[in-house]
Amino acid sequence: MAAADLIRSARFRAEREVDWRRLEHLVGQAETRGLQNMGFADARDLANLYRQATTSLAIAREISLDKALLSYLEALTARAYLSVYAPQERVSGMLARFFKQGAPRAMRAAWPYLIIGFASMFLGALVGYLLYFEDNGWFYTFMPTELAGGRDPGASTSYLRRQLYDTDPQNNGLGAFATYLFSHNTRIAIFVFGLGVFLCAPAIILTFYNGLMLGAFFALHLDRGLGWDLFGWLSIHGVTELSAICVACAGGVQMGAAVLFPGRRRRVDALRHAGQNAVKLAIIAALMLVMAAVLEGYGRQLVQSLSARLTIGWGFGVLWLAWFVIPAWRRG
Amino acid sequence: MSVLADPIAADNSARAISGGGVLVPPEGVALHFRVAGLGVRLGAQIVDILITGIAATAIVVLLISVLSWAALPLLGAVVSALFFFIRIPYYVLTELAWNGQTLGKRTMNIKVVANDGGPLTTNALVTRNLMKEAELFLPGTLLFALNAQYPLYSLIGLGWIIAVIGVPFLNARRRRMGDFVAGTYVIHLPEPVLLPDLAREAPAPTQQEARFRFLSHHLDHYGAYELQTLESMLRTGPGVSETEHRNRAETVKAVVENIRRKIDYADPVPPQDARDFLMAFYNAQRAHLEQRQLFGDRRADKFHDRPEPEDPKKSP
Repeated sequence: MAAADLIRSARFRAEREVDWRRLEHLVGQAETRGLQNMGFADARDLANLYRQATTSLAIAREISLDKALLSYLEALTARAYLSVYAPQERVSGMLARFFKQGAPRAMRAAWPYLIIGFASMFLGALVGYLLYFEDNGWFYTFMPTELAGGRDPGASTSYLRRQLYDTDPQNNGLGAFATYLFSHNTRIAIFVFGLGVFLCAPAIILTFYNGLMLGAFFALHLDRGLGWDLFGWLSIHGVTELSAICVACAGGVQMGAAVLFPGRRRRVDALRHAGQNAVKLAIIAALMLVMAAVLEGYGRQLVQSLSARLTIGWGFGVLWLAWFVIPAWRRG
Repeated sequence: MSVLADPIAADNSARAISGGGVLVPPEGVALHFRVAGLGVRLGAQIVDILITGIAATAIVVLLISVLSWAALPLLGAVVSALFFFIRIPYYVLTELAWNGQTLGKRTMNIKVVANDGGPLTTNALVTRNLMKEAELFLPGTLLFALNAQYPLYSLIGLGWIIAVIGVPFLNARRRRMGDFVAGTYVIHLPEPVLLPDLAREAPAPTQQEARFRFLSHHLDHYGAYELQTLESMLRTGPGVSETEHRNRAETVKAVVENIRRKIDYADPVPPQDARDFLMAFYNAQRAHLEQRQLFGDRRADKFHDRPEPEDPKKSP
């Protein structure tokens, strides 16, 4: 049929159909082979044809009542949009950026929440400590029996000491590493982070409770004259591990605060904005927990001297701090 | 034409408010997506869990053969750690590599897109998958490891899971907690299929020596909705089986009679010409409506000439 006989929208379609078909082909290529593996001309054409297709779609919505054409163009443009705007970042570059800039910056930006996180842990520890000296019975209230592993007020001092300087090969290496990783504290950290969305309270309460246990545990050992020994035993991995829980708490609180006090944003937008930072805190906490697991699995049994334990533990603490603070100094 | 007077723009904004899958790319032309339901997402999730499960199992079998049976008591912990370490990178890296699709999502033809129409960022993908861990897998494992001694933990886990599963039901885009934090949602991948143009198949008035001639008063009755319904009907073939064939012919005949009565078309249409008549009518009606549309007179359906009902809110 001669083109002049066609109605306007059919002519519109006939003139552009070849381009749309080519775009369809290119989108298929981009989806199966990836944009990186396409030739220069193809990649350029994909971007150009995509923009032409968006224009065609906008015009077709105005001038055409052909449902087949409208739905085809809509789907084609959508597919092309998705491949044109696909993320183009390499994993190595992404990781480097996270370690060099993203993580330290997120930590520095979250300082008020970090204070809340550390404060709730510390206050918990203080309360646990004071309550223990008021009445030993509190210990059983705070501490689940499985976690204490017999280290409660009823245990003898020598038993407690043996636990601190334990060289049992059963608890060594990979096994201890793995068991540890899914032990109590990792779970606490993940819950503390995830529950933060619910208006902060669960995150703060869980961190506070963790502090309670810590305080009571410390008070028990101090009572038996094992204060320094416990401090060393805890320090070697605890500096990293307890900080990780506080960091996770800070992330959770940051999200909860966004829900509670969205400011001028909508709550959803505030949550998304806070989430960008909070997730970095969660990843940092996860890295710290893995490091703590290595320290606990290998370090605690291998290093038996008190001073070495203290040095390693707090040395790692300083290293973590350096990671977060030094990039800011470098920039001046 | 002002934006407010444009029915499609009004339709778009209405859909955007109701939260359907409207996405405005930087080019400024709104695209409509079908939001993926929870069933299809669950299916994709099951495929992914199977894949990561098989990978982890393979590594565990390897570990057992390399190590010895002495390490067996610790195996449970190693396995759960392995699942954890395989799962998170799997989701993040596949969604990065395939632009928002894990293998499971690829099999189900669904895809993660950014809420604001921009490209998916690494940050968003990491966020939504880490949140999945905190949302579902951790309380899930907690539930599996039910311990009668500590009913509190199990209850907390159960309550948490119920709350988390409830979230997608409460919003139109079926976003879970992680989608909210990451600013993403999941869509069905649209399938571009270009059907032939009916206007090209229709007999042209010059060739047919105007067998069917429609005048402007014939074409003022219907709107876009009826036109597109007719288009869908014309796209279905005459039918394969004997009864189907007969039924379709009956339908065509009934439609022709209805149209003739509605538009006051006087000449009778013989049954063998019924389809040609409809084709010619479709062509003429589409040309007419499209021309009216160019002049700013959009006719959504056959009620276009009725006066707009008074808006009680607007009247003083």
